[in-house]
Amino acid sequence: MSNIDLLGRRKFIAGLGIAAGAAMVAPAMAVSEKADGVKWDKEVEIVIIGSGFAGLAAAIEATKHGAKDVHIFEKMSYFGGNSAINGGLFAAPGTPMQKKEGVEDSVDRMVNDQLLSGRGIADEGLLRHVASHAVEALQMTLDAGSEYHPYLQQLGGHSVARTYQTSVSCGAGITQPLYKECKRIGVNTHNRSKFEGFLVGNKGEVVGVKMRQNYHFGEDQPGKVLNIRAKRGVIMATGGFAQNVDLRMAQDPTLTADVGCTNAPGATGEGMFEMFRLGAIPVHLAHIQSGPWASPDEGGFGYVSNYSIFNLPHSIAVSRTTGKRFMNEIADRKTRADAELSNRDEKGNPVPPLLISSFKDSKAHPNTEKVIKYNVGWKFESLEELATHFGVPLAGLKAQIAEYNGYVKTGEDKQFGKDMTLAKNKMIEAPFTVVRLWPKVHYCQGGVKVNTKAEVTDSFTGKSITGLYAAGEVCGGIHGVSRLGSCSIPECMVMGMTAARSLMNV
Amino acid sequence: MKNFNIILGLVLLGLTSLSVQSAEIRDYHKDVIGKDCKTCHDNGIKQFPSDQSCLQCHDVDDLAKKTARSEEDKWQNPHNNLHYGKDVPCQECHSEHKTKQPLCSNCHTFKFDKHKG
Ligand SMILES: Cc1cc2nc3c(=O)[nH]c(=O)nc-3n(C[C@H](O)[C@H](O)[C@H](O)COP(=O)(O)OP(=O)(O)OC[C@H]3O[C@@H](n4cnc5c(N)ncnc54)[C@H](O)[C@@H]3O)c2cc1C
Repeated sequence: MSNIDLLGRRKFIAGLGIAAGAAMVAPAMAVSEKADGVKWDKEVEIVIIGSGFAGLAAAIEATKHGAKDVHIFEKMSYFGGNSAINGGLFAAPGTPMQKKEGVEDSVDRMVNDQLLSGRGIADEGLLRHVASHAVEALQMTLDAGSEYHPYLQQLGGHSVARTYQTSVSCGAGITQPLYKECKRIGVNTHNRSKFEGFLVGNKGEVVGVKMRQNYHFGEDQPGKVLNIRAKRGVIMATGGFAQNVDLRMAQDPTLTADVGCTNAPGATGEGMFEMFRLGAIPVHLAHIQSGPWASPDEGGFGYVSNYSIFNLPHSIAVSRTTGKRFMNEIADRKTRADAELSNRDEKGNPVPPLLISSFKDSKAHPNTEKVIKYNVGWKFESLEELATHFGVPLAGLKAQIAEYNGYVKTGEDKQFGKDMTLAKNKMIEAPFTVVRLWPKVHYCQGGVKVNTKAEVTDSFTGKSITGLYAAGEVCGGIHGVSRLGSCSIPECMVMGMTAARSLMNV
Repeated sequence: MKNFNIILGLVLLGLTSLSVQSAEIRDYHKDVIGKDCKTCHDNGIKQFPSDQSCLQCHDVDDLAKKTARSEEDKWQNPHNNLHYGKDVPCQECHSEHKTKQPLCSNCHTFKFDKHKG
């Protein structure tokens, strides 16, 4: 097995640490060890690391299939990870709402859309597996009490409207019900518990984990490390690494600390790294996606992101220096993020472009009021007022809007080939609402390689690492170059459920 | 022995000044905490208090009532919020010895006028 030498080497390094002086209090370095002769502090049936969609779905599914002693460990003081701050957009093919709205969709169609945005390197088998089970995952959220807006949305890169959104327009509309369901069915949840490494059996199989208790994120207070045996196995659901600036810059040097990030602080990637050290295959780490709908006027995902996602199909994005459009507002994320980043002055400083919507259409989204109230968006009664406020050339802007309104009428965008279906009858006219756009680091396409059983593949043997499963954003390769919006929730949940089924042999 | 006493004195002085500082952030804590750091530091003086520590005196439901917002903004209640319900440990937004930003400020521009570290 590939891990044996690595383990030996790490023990040696750890030894050096101790020799160097006791003053070094527990460095943050995660280390896996051989389980031989370790004293187990605790023995449980299933260990799940991470409390986002993937971890919560895995816990519920495992319990459904008879697991009695399931434990979720979360390093932060609060549960939910990125999933709890997520936009609540959930894509699935062949849903009840699509039937109601007469939308023709299928697993094939969703997979095809994803393959296109994956630009030839997405994992078709995994995409197909996820799309085939997405409706089951949606059902799990409904069973737990999630509620959705009564309409479908068509997000960038999707060829049909297939996206549900929670009625609170946030992933918490899913994580809160799932978390409560976990509590109700007796899943054990532990906060401030940081995964530090695997405990590995003689054949290279994962038999347990080292877990730091009473951990305070970002503070210098190391708690005690416990050795926890996992009788059935370990599910890694630790999410992405978008908050780890060193790591993301190693992949893409343009993603410096100056580029904003939409992720929760805990998205730092050490769980993924420890799997690599064990032998897992790194896939597509350099494909890190930025969200083209974010605003430089607030932190993280904030209010603007969902506001823009809803409004982009029937709005125009214009350059502040010309008043002209510069992209298809619903192209896939990478296309749009790249186009936005090119909006700069002569010195190369960012000049964030404007997203201009008609208030009559934007106000259908619940965030519109909030965006204005919290000063991250503006409402203007006239185009003159808008142009003066942002210093946009009025003539250029006027001409652009007139031209675009022509496309709204004909249903054909001659400038950028935007699909005008959702823009039908939605002329751009006063009063206007405006937000500024600038991409933020959002999603890590890369991670460990898994198969359709959520088993983690070993780099050297090509076989699955026994006892180890991974689900959610910590896995890589599924989406290829660019993930389509609303396709992570189904992936995380389906793969979490899949990992649980594999563990329970169903 | 003498040295030991001096050191002990210095340590106590340090602790007292810490508790004075904490009372400065929340003067209404002065009477309750007094000089007994253990009132909060239930995990030992050098450790952060447990997540339950503040709840010896404070009731989450009461706090949620006190910070309730209008129906439209109801989920911006820091003690019962959209993302984590009533489950965010106090120490995430509050600290007795230094000032902290509320967790929401990671992504939102809400104002919490009464927020004291
Ligand atoms: C702001 C935002 C909005 C988004 N909106 C959408 C959307 O609308 N639709 C969509 O499909 N996708 C969306 N995404 C993407 C999607 O939310 C994420 O990909 C998804 O939440 C990842 O879920 P997960 O379960 O894999 O990981 P997470 O939800 O991130 O959970 C991982 C958890 O593991 C914990 N953890 C990490 N390391 C350790 C460790 N060493 N020990 C213990 N615990 C650890 C973390 O603290 C975290 O709580 C959005 C992402 C963001 C950031």
